Amino acid sequence: MLTAALNIAIAAVLLAMLLSLWRLLRGPAPEDRVLALDTLYINTIALVLMLSIRFDSRLYFEAALLIAMTGFVGTIALAKYLLRGNLMD
Amino acid sequence: MSLLLIALLPFLCIPLPLLAVHYGRTACAWVTALGPAIALALLLGSAPTVFGGETVTVAWSWLPVLGLELAFVLDGYSLLFAALILGIGLLIILYARYYLSESDPMGRFYAMLLAFMGAMLGIVLSNNLILMVIFWELTSISSFLLIGYWRHLAEARQGARMALTITGAGGLCLLAGVLLLGEIVGSYELTTVLDSGELIRAHPLYELTLVLILLGAFTKSAQVPFHFWLPHAMAAPTPVSAYLHSATMVKAGVFLLARLFPALAGSDLWFFLVSGVGLATLVFGAYGALFKDDLKGLLAYSTISHLGLITLLFGLGTPAGAVAGVFHIINHATFKASLFMSAGIIDHEAGTRDIRRLGGLRHKMPHTMWLATIAAASMAGVPLLNGFISKEMFFAEVVVESERLGAAGWLLPAVATLGGLLSAAYSIRFVHDVFFGDSRESLPKEPHEPPRYMRVPVEVLIGICVAVGVAPALVIGPVLDVAMAGVLRGEVPYYSLALWHGFKLPLFMSVIALGGGLLLYLWRDRAEALHERVFPAITGKGTFEAVLAGAVALSRGITRAFDNGSVQRNLAWLLTAAIVLGGYGLWTGGYSVGDAHQTPAPWAAFGIWAMLLAAMTALVVLHRNRLIALILVGVAGLLSAVTFIYISAPDLALTQLSVEVVSVILLLMALRLLPEHTPRESSAGRRLRDGALAVLGGGGVAAAAYAVMTQPFTTISDYHLVNSVPGGGGSNVVNVILVDFRGFDTFGEITVLGIAAACVFALLAQGASATESAHRESNHPLMLLVGSRVMLPMMVAVALYIFLRGHNLPGGGFIAGLVATVALVTQYMASGIHWSERRFTGSYFPVIGWGLLIAGATGVVSWLFGAPFLTSAYTYVDWPVLGHFEIASAMAFDLGVFLTVVGAVVLMLANLGKQPAHGDKEESSWSS
Amino acid sequence: MLEALASVLILFGAFFVLVGSLGLARLPDFFTRLHGPTKATTLGLAAVCAAFIAFAAGSGNGLSVRELLILVFLFITAPVSAFVLGRAALRRGTPSMTPPPAPLEDADDDRHR
Repeated sequence: MLTAALNIAIAAVLLAMLLSLWRLLRGPAPEDRVLALDTLYINTIALVLMLSIRFDSRLYFEAALLIAMTGFVGTIALAKYLLRGNLMD
Repeated sequence: MSLLLIALLPFLCIPLPLLAVHYGRTACAWVTALGPAIALALLLGSAPTVFGGETVTVAWSWLPVLGLELAFVLDGYSLLFAALILGIGLLIILYARYYLSESDPMGRFYAMLLAFMGAMLGIVLSNNLILMVIFWELTSISSFLLIGYWRHLAEARQGARMALTITGAGGLCLLAGVLLLGEIVGSYELTTVLDSGELIRAHPLYELTLVLILLGAFTKSAQVPFHFWLPHAMAAPTPVSAYLHSATMVKAGVFLLARLFPALAGSDLWFFLVSGVGLATLVFGAYGALFKDDLKGLLAYSTISHLGLITLLFGLGTPAGAVAGVFHIINHATFKASLFMSAGIIDHEAGTRDIRRLGGLRHKMPHTMWLATIAAASMAGVPLLNGFISKEMFFAEVVVESERLGAAGWLLPAVATLGGLLSAAYSIRFVHDVFFGDSRESLPKEPHEPPRYMRVPVEVLIGICVAVGVAPALVIGPVLDVAMAGVLRGEVPYYSLALWHGFKLPLFMSVIALGGGLLLYLWRDRAEALHERVFPAITGKGTFEAVLAGAVALSRGITRAFDNGSVQRNLAWLLTAAIVLGGYGLWTGGYSVGDAHQTPAPWAAFGIWAMLLAAMTALVVLHRNRLIALILVGVAGLLSAVTFIYISAPDLALTQLSVEVVSVILLLMALRLLPEHTPRESSAGRRLRDGALAVLGGGGVAAAAYAVMTQPFTTISDYHLVNSVPGGGGSNVVNVILVDFRGFDTFGEITVLGIAAACVFALLAQGASATESAHRESNHPLMLLVGSRVMLPMMVAVALYIFLRGHNLPGGGFIAGLVATVALVTQYMASGIHWSERRFTGSYFPVIGWGLLIAGATGVVSWLFGAPFLTSAYTYVDWPVLGHFEIASAMAFDLGVFLTVVGAVVLMLANLGKQPAHGDKEESSWSS
Repeated sequence: MLEALASVLILFGAFFVLVGSLGLARLPDFFTRLHGPTKATTLGLAAVCAAFIAFAAGSGNGLSVRELLILVFLFITAPVSAFVLGRAALRRGTPSMTPPPAPLEDADDDRHR
């Protein structure tokens, strides 16, 4: 049952990633693209956790944690750029 | 053992003058003299052994693989040279005490002099050819420092640079020659090489070897056409000139000619090359000296001339010629050192050394006049002085050897006589124009005798000149005998040190030389007029600079062809080279795909890769908008990380993610200094070229990877997998490789990282703006401020977590360092650079320094246990409550990596953030 | 039992992750699009994390709360990034369905400095 659920879930998350990517390419404003990138990061965390269940491995946890962290910092950096131009004023 | 001490004492004493200079100038000179004096005493203590016919050798293995040994030899010849270097060196130390003015940094002078002395001693005492070349280059470097001692003078700097370029280049030739010599003989041991003369001369590589070694000797001894560096080296303080151009430096070249005499001399090539160059230098130098108005310039050219004479004597290739050559080396060292010191005294006390401005000094400086006159007479070859005897021997040898030239036999004695004639003429000019004639009133200083002890070194040397000149067989005979036994390694031929040889051709030549010299001096005005008309205006310096400029232009042109500052061109060359090499491999080796087991990819992976492809295609289309390009690069990084996770490379994924975010921040900061859009600049042809390169390069790599990975193959990774736990004590192989198996690599890399950070800091420091913009809430949204501060401890905890588990599970110092960096940089972004700098440490350099120090110390500690650098050790401990822990020394190393990464990356990013805001977008421009 | 719970949670989470991205792709302007990822996706991810914990407990590894850290991370960061992005959009005048509210800049200016 879990395997079937996982297959469906992974397919759904891949579809979600595809939609995020579509928004990322479509724009139109830079903010849209940054938001889409942020969403893509969060989608990826979901995907990695699902793969972790699928392969019954706990080695994926750090990767998921780091994706969450770098996704946030990257979004902040891009948003700060859009807001101020200067990242560290 | 004492031999090693003799060779190393000057080096060991280098710090002494630097310390002693605070206790006064006299104390400084005394302390400096201490090392050479002890070395000289030790040397003379060994002298009886050498005179007894023994050769003292000592040797320690240094780099046996390369044939390099710390080996020294003391035979008659090296004893003679070492005594000259140390003896005259001591006199120079005394002389320089009075020569240097109050404003000259004396400690630095003496320290450099000791370094030079040590290098010279090394050359003459080395029993290993490679070791000798090392000392040879050390003399080039230390003489560069000495010549450029007055570094505020442009001509001193130029002269020093020229001397270094010429003698350094010669040293490289010498190294090549010596390596060939070692290959021919099969040993780099000097004594072995000297005993293999016949083997060497019969070898097909003999000619090449000889030419290379001669290039080394000729550049050092200022032989035509490499002579021009020597006159320009006269910008050095006079004690330096007196030392470098009498007993040392330039004598290193002729020393080598005599040292390798048994191994290399005796062939026709040797005869024509060495004696030809020597003859040309003899006449050219003497002619040049005649028309120099600068006292030191005159002496410089006369030095060139006398070195030519010595070279010519060795070039004859006969044992008797070699005897005369070595004898003249001693004589020239004594009279030329005293002449330079006299010139220095005149310059010191009269304020000028321009011959045209000097005159009639015999009344003001009678004592100095006598000393200079005797030395100059010796240089001219006046009887009852040492210069006469060696010049007689020279004439005699030339007459004997002229038979070898057949019909042109008269040429050699005639040109030799001409050289002697010119030598007499400039010697007379040196004495007469300075001390005789009318007194001049317009001297910069009122001339008077120098301090008592400034004359002592000159008096000692003049005493030797006269003693050798009057009773040569008694004074110098035994020394010359034992030295020649060292040079010729066997029977010393009969030679006569008598003053009177009867009315023979050599005496006749001497008379012509002295008489003709006097006549030439009397007619000097007419000679000068002729010289002005005839002598070509080509100067050695001009040629040198033209050649140098040409070489620079050529290398710049070659560099430009490949790298004109355009990244595209640079990459295009790189890719073209890779494609050509890869294509060649494909062409010759063929392409085949193996049938190794292939893992089927699940549909989810295809989904990820399809998205990756879509994003990259979009990047190609949309790349002109730089922000979009950057975002898409972020997508590529993320999707690659997912792929890494999927194919079980969690370390790679972690590294990829953390590097990714740092790069995005870096690029964003660069982006604000750049236009938003990339303009269209490439022509259609260029785009076609770049497209073709991209397709070929990418396709080639993919094809190659596919072919390799489908073949059965074994790699070093098996070894790493097996040895990771028993050898490195960690189950995370990637980390064990980084901190243990390839720990030395990592150490080098973090060092480079630290240096790069310092360079970035230096480059950006100029532009960094110190002004603090108003801290407004609108710049630093409150929510971001609070959110980021809440996140900080969590992020740091993550970094520590990744660091601590790194040895056994995915993670490690590098990734943890980047995570910590990201945590800190987030504060910079949320709260502004000034807020953050006030709260974090003022400088990140100590962090980098501590990181490198800890990593290096971890490596050094293994020495204490007798293990090689960076050997790791580990143990397991049971801590109550916390459980079973592993402690590995590699963890300390990893801590060093961690600190260096944090320090370097934050330093770079923070300084980039401080760049002036000319690229900043004003808020108004956004809200349109 | 735990496996069933994990399955349900996974499907639940995947659904909301999909809804979040669907909103991002389909909604008409930036300010409405902002809602999808911030709310639906965060909820979805929370469910996936819970599923993971349930699965880990079910497969005999005991109760692991490590994965909650991701969730805590996300609960703090998601609103922050959404806020900063929204602010950037407001400042830059990104087109909106309804006219944006009057500027509040003066009100929240930090007067301490």
